[in-house]
Amino acid sequence: MRCPVRHLRLPIFLLGALLLLVATAGQAAKVALDPSHWGLPEGDACVSCHEKASPGLARQWHDSAHKTAGVNCLDCHRAEPRDRDAMQHEGQIIATIVSPKDCGRCHETEYREQAGSVHAEAYAIIADRIPALAHNVTGAAMQATGCDQCHGSVVQIRGDGTLDPATWPNSGIGRVNPDGSKGSCSSCHGRHQFSKAQAREPEACVRCHSGPDSPDKEVFEASKHGMIYAAQKEQMNLRSDRWIAGQDYTAAPTCVTCHMGGAGNLPSTHDVGMRNVWSLNTPVSRRQFLVVLEDDSKLELPADQPPPRRGAEIARPDGTLAKVKAVAAPERRRQAMNAVCLECHAKSFTESFMRQFDSVVELYNGKFGEPAAAIMADLYEHGLLTPLPFDEPLEFIYWELWHDEGARARHGASMASPNHAWWEGMYLVGRNFYTRFLPAARAAAGDQAAELVDARLQDGDHHAWLGRPDQANPILGYMPPAVVLEPAAASAEAVPLAASTATEERDD
Amino acid sequence: MTEPRASAFITRNVLFALVGGGLGGILFMFFLIEFDHFTSTNQFCTTCHSMTFAETSYQQSVHYNSPSGVRASCGDCHVSEGIIMATYDHAVGIKDLFKQLFGADYNDPVINLLHLPDAAFASRDWFRRRDSATCRRCHLQEAIQGTRVHTAAIHQEETDGKSCVDCHFNLVHRPVPERSTFKREAWNAMVEQEFGLEPGSAEQLLAAGRRPAGERPPAAAAPAHGVGNGQQQAGLEP
Repeated sequence: MRCPVRHLRLPIFLLGALLLLVATAGQAAKVALDPSHWGLPEGDACVSCHEKASPGLARQWHDSAHKTAGVNCLDCHRAEPRDRDAMQHEGQIIATIVSPKDCGRCHETEYREQAGSVHAEAYAIIADRIPALAHNVTGAAMQATGCDQCHGSVVQIRGDGTLDPATWPNSGIGRVNPDGSKGSCSSCHGRHQFSKAQAREPEACVRCHSGPDSPDKEVFEASKHGMIYAAQKEQMNLRSDRWIAGQDYTAAPTCVTCHMGGAGNLPSTHDVGMRNVWSLNTPVSRRQFLVVLEDDSKLELPADQPPPRRGAEIARPDGTLAKVKAVAAPERRRQAMNAVCLECHAKSFTESFMRQFDSVVELYNGKFGEPAAAIMADLYEHGLLTPLPFDEPLEFIYWELWHDEGARARHGASMASPNHAWWEGMYLVGRNFYTRFLPAARAAAGDQAAELVDARLQDGDHHAWLGRPDQANPILGYMPPAVVLEPAAASAEAVPLAASTATEERDD
Repeated sequence: MTEPRASAFITRNVLFALVGGGLGGILFMFFLIEFDHFTSTNQFCTTCHSMTFAETSYQQSVHYNSPSGVRASCGDCHVSEGIIMATYDHAVGIKDLFKQLFGADYNDPVINLLHLPDAAFASRDWFRRRDSATCRRCHLQEAIQGTRVHTAAIHQEETDGKSCVDCHFNLVHRPVPERSTFKREAWNAMVEQEFGLEPGSAEQLLAAGRRPAGERPPAAAAPAHGVGNGQQQAGLEP
């Protein structure tokens, strides 16, 4: 038997370093600062007026842990006059936007952890994709209300000091803030109460993790985890100060539990993607290295390439360069995720579940993702498709194949929703691939279809079933004559298909 | 014996001088009243082309088209009440006339917009010095109720030591940040973008005070800025 640890030969003592890096505590870190850092006396005046001007948000603050701790409006909203979005308000210099950097004045650990995460980089990751759908296929107005509300906007300050309505209001989780920091804490932590319980509920993620491409709300609800959560929500201890799976609650996991939460010795983290092995929202899934950079921000790189060396300079999604501090292999990331599972499940159960999940991703890759990506690349290469995205129907078909149906199948398998893995997922991938994608690709390829399209189906035996057209057909109710031996069945040959099936069933 | 002396002092000429001077004084008062009134009208203010930019945004503001039908003129807000202060304000205002005649080319929308923040800061200072007296000609604090229940409470309980203009600005003219957070580079970049100028050119234009002949569009086509910002001003937070 091969020991999986052999895959860890990489420069991966450093992974220990990574764990140390995040091993701050088994729970969300408490603010370590002395209370003299907050409670600006000038901030007391804000409340009296805002109780009248905006009683809703004042009430939320009154009910918050911030208020209990003595943190007032100005502690978070204060700004320096030189700040790009600073404004004078009732004698104070403030900014509307409280960025992760602002929250990080006290919540240092969370700020450091979320920097460079797939959440913080959510805008940078798709920035070059936005124009195709948001500007060309629809119109620029959709960027503010669609893409940017989840991925984040690049907040623009107009010359007159006001926030550009094309980019604000926005609580997208990859928002590029006027102070240069990325992210939006209020994406998950509803302002101005910032309730722990609210952020721990699956509903904290629903605003973005729903819909056709990453229906994680629906996937979770349709899984055993979601089923038990719904039934036993009152046993979740959501308001507890400490919230470690297996210790402070055992009823069910939420999104936070597996992707961020503390479990046993595994520390909690605000890097939501840290425990993910695969990229699931890509045309072809890849196992991924987690690269920790010198400033503690992070980056993901495909694991089918050699890992970057420590000290090497690599480019972030936004193009800036940074030095590598440590690299975590996919196996290490899986270990972290499994550590959560093990609080409730046996090791063999956990590993076998992960095997089922990995098999679905590998199946999707080999059977659909890789051939489709190769066919598209060839069609572009040979000038049979214009480089302009979405001006040809095939491009929509391909997009939905991996981005909607394909992602749904993979997410369904990852979180154990049979319906999403199959009917809402891989079944649609298969139907699309055989009945829409391949015919459209062959049509686009024309004379070169055999070489550019069908040749791609010969790799492995994924599509070999197409070469056996005489197979038995119980699912659609037609049995070829060669299989049906009794002479009685031969006389039924002229009978319409449905009638014939009905007759057989009655006979049974 | 004193009577003859007095009558000797009030000679015919003195009597004429007193009556003439008195009448002249009264006439001068009337003149000032009329003069202050006339020089406070929108028609007078916009005889300078440079003022039409301010007029454009003003005409899109609530102070021009108010639900009650009351319309505030230029002078209602920008000239103090009472003949003495009104005359003083107009006397000080003569410097604007000098600047219009001998200063920068304020008729050019680009130059005008580049100078707008300075005008806004000066105006806000003026309102503050006068404790927003001209606002309170119409907006009596006792009468401020607002459409939301809390508006009255805020104006009664949260306004100690504050003047209207401390909270309410950018209501009528094109929005300009408060002085302490104003960023000249950002403002210049906005002007350059809005008028399609070379990046960096605004700083030189601001120093030069005018554009070279030929680069400046004819005055008739000028009132480009201000338009489209009225709604933002009206909806802007104080």
